[in-house]
Amino acid sequence: MAFLELKHVNKGFGPASHRTEVLHDINLQVEENEFVAVIGFSGSGKSTLMSILAGLESPDSGQVLLDGRAVTGPGPNLGIMFQNYSLLPWLSVAGNLEIAVKQVFPKMKKAERAEYIQHYIDLVTLTGSEYKTPPELSGGMRQRLSLARTLAMKPEVLLLDEPLSALDAITRSVLQDEIIRIWEEDRRTVVMITNDVDEAALMADRIVPLTPGPAATLERNFPVTLERPRDRAGLNFNPEFKSLRNAVSNFMMDMNQDAKSLRVASNLTLPDLEPKDFRTHYNALG
Amino acid sequence: MNPLLSKTKAALLKAVDLSALTFLEPVVRLAYGEEPAVQLRRIGRTILVPVIAVGIFLGAWSLIAGLIQTKAGTLPDPAATWTQGQAIWTGHVREGEKQTAYDLTGPRRERQLARVEARLEELTELDTQAREQVAAAEARKAEVLDETRTPLLAQIDRAKADIKKTKAERKEELKAAAVALEAGDRAAYDAYLVSLESGGETIEKMEEKLDALELKVDEAESRVYAPLIAAQKQATAIAEEIQHLNSMKDLLGDRNRGEKLTALDEKLEAQTAAFYDAQGEAVYSAANRIERTQRQITRTEEANYPMPYTLPWQVVRSIMCVFVGFILGTAVAVPIGVLCGLSPTIMAAMTPFIALFKPVSPIVWLPIMLIIVSGLVGDPDNNAFIQLLWELPLIGGFEINPAFLASAAVVALCSLWATLANTALGVASIDQDHINVARVLKLGFWSRLFKIVLPSALPLMFAGMRISLGVGWMVLIAAELLASSEGIGKFVIDMFNNGSSDSFAALFVVVFVVGIIGLFLDRIMIIFQRLVSFDGSVASI
Repeated sequence: MAFLELKHVNKGFGPASHRTEVLHDINLQVEENEFVAVIGFSGSGKSTLMSILAGLESPDSGQVLLDGRAVTGPGPNLGIMFQNYSLLPWLSVAGNLEIAVKQVFPKMKKAERAEYIQHYIDLVTLTGSEYKTPPELSGGMRQRLSLARTLAMKPEVLLLDEPLSALDAITRSVLQDEIIRIWEEDRRTVVMITNDVDEAALMADRIVPLTPGPAATLERNFPVTLERPRDRAGLNFNPEFKSLRNAVSNFMMDMNQDAKSLRVASNLTLPDLEPKDFRTHYNALG
Repeated sequence: MNPLLSKTKAALLKAVDLSALTFLEPVVRLAYGEEPAVQLRRIGRTILVPVIAVGIFLGAWSLIAGLIQTKAGTLPDPAATWTQGQAIWTGHVREGEKQTAYDLTGPRRERQLARVEARLEELTELDTQAREQVAAAEARKAEVLDETRTPLLAQIDRAKADIKKTKAERKEELKAAAVALEAGDRAAYDAYLVSLESGGETIEKMEEKLDALELKVDEAESRVYAPLIAAQKQATAIAEEIQHLNSMKDLLGDRNRGEKLTALDEKLEAQTAAFYDAQGEAVYSAANRIERTQRQITRTEEANYPMPYTLPWQVVRSIMCVFVGFILGTAVAVPIGVLCGLSPTIMAAMTPFIALFKPVSPIVWLPIMLIIVSGLVGDPDNNAFIQLLWELPLIGGFEINPAFLASAAVVALCSLWATLANTALGVASIDQDHINVARVLKLGFWSRLFKIVLPSALPLMFAGMRISLGVGWMVLIAAELLASSEGIGKFVIDMFNNGSSDSFAALFVVVFVVGIIGLFLDRIMIIFQRLVSFDGSVASI
């Protein structure tokens, strides 16, 4: 049985009269210590999917199972790293970690906790910025801090919601390498949401495209069989990588076409009316 | 640049930024030689322009003040206001000196007494000189006046004589004409009446001229003679100092507490001796005498110099009152605001009260509060709580009474709304991301409140508190005025009732005192607001 499982999950928003179905019959199995990338276009319901996985929102129907038990709410075991960092701006780097560590490991002694926090600060290479506050950090540093906070909770599942989408290309690749390094050091189950096929192919064990919303669903799996550690520079010339990237991209493009044609077909036709000319009426009166 | 220099520069710039005194920034930068041309231009805009504006204001004020006549003399101009401000301060300092003098004992008292007496001697001479100068100036003024007045008076006399003469002549003329009238000639009679009515014109003109001359004399008499005023001012200042030193002498001498106690101790000793010598019924009266003296000693030991209420003392009391009210109001507003922000239900329940009580004027609250506080406290001399307040160090000296408490309560009632509304807004508008963090961490209610909700609401809360303190300061003065609570408001109403031109100037002094203190209170709140804000977005002024 899979470690993390979505079973026939449906989710929609709005009142019953004009309800928008965002996710439709989502089924996903993630094995223990597997790195899965969910890839989809913007607006396809990726973040909603992530919120459901994290327990922040509950599905309208269907189930989320973690290690065979149903997920009923959020918790530190489902470590979500938010798209927009969600750092507490009034706390320092160490303070942001401390509030999480204190809550998850209440029995940890003070000295031990300080050491533990420092370990995670070092892990994401924020050493030296312990007493800066989030507004004083750059985007990449904030994202790293967010990652450190999530990792420090020692979650069973790491949920990364477009963790790198707000960053520039260089910072992004640095952080990609860093996340892979950390994951390889300390293996755990990861579900990452992204809109970048290259990123997914570089990092994940398996790519799962989300069909464009509304009523998004997970259709196919693309296993990534590239050997680790993967070399970013060499990858571009790797035929396997290229074919995988083409396959995923084509699949996505086709889906997008399908979705568009579907949408066009559902357009309402306007009634065939001709505007009445009131001028003659006025002239008759005048 | 020298690392120490650049460090102090950074620290100074940070302090300037924190206190929102942004106009000082170019000064600091210029002092460190950074782009002098740019900084000078900025100083021109941020400092020179306001200074010029203030100069124009003072000039216009001086001009207009002379033109406005009131029952209490002309409107005080900037110079008169400044002088009055100094007089108020001197009065305060002198009262402080008297208080110290009353408590002084031993050799320090003697030294001080010697100093006072020496100065008094100096002043006696100065006083005579000043009086002489005044007399001389008066004489000179009379001379100057005579120079202009004598010819005018002569003219007046002549004009009066002329009028008298003309009137007499005309009377004779008319009488003669009357005699010449033929009886029954109605036309001639009418003509006579007309000539009587119209003939007065010449006399009227002459009288007008006379009035004009008399006006000139009045003007000359009321003309201000500057040297005399200056001499009088000096003489008054010396006389005031002499008066002050005389009462200092008293307070260092016979009226000094230590001296009084020594005298009483001697008396007691004598009475004790007499008591032991006494026999029969005399013992009773001797014992009574001892008892009376002992009571007198205790009273003297407890007595303090009866310091009158000076404006600086009243200002400090007002500031204390506004903070008591502000703290009371905040203590009520913050918890309610947090509850309103957390729960839309509580917000809905509170909305009618907020909407209803917020616009109520302090003038309506004050009588209600006075009645309530007086009802609770009753007689302040027999109330345990008030007595406890009087016993406290520092605060005890400010004689917290029902009027003070009522004023503070009114400040609280009128100022709490801004804090309440802003706290509710701050709590309600907490970032959803931060709530998600709390949910993921499974924080309990209290840690969610204290670790997530309150810190994130703090900047808005302080913005509300800043508005509250400003409102409270404005409300307080009206409340003190109505409650007769010793403070700035009481000073204002006293000066208004006094009605002399000095007290008119004192009111102008109060305008500036109140303004400057209000400014300082606002600055303090800005600094607090900056310290708690994490995104750096605070209003610039």
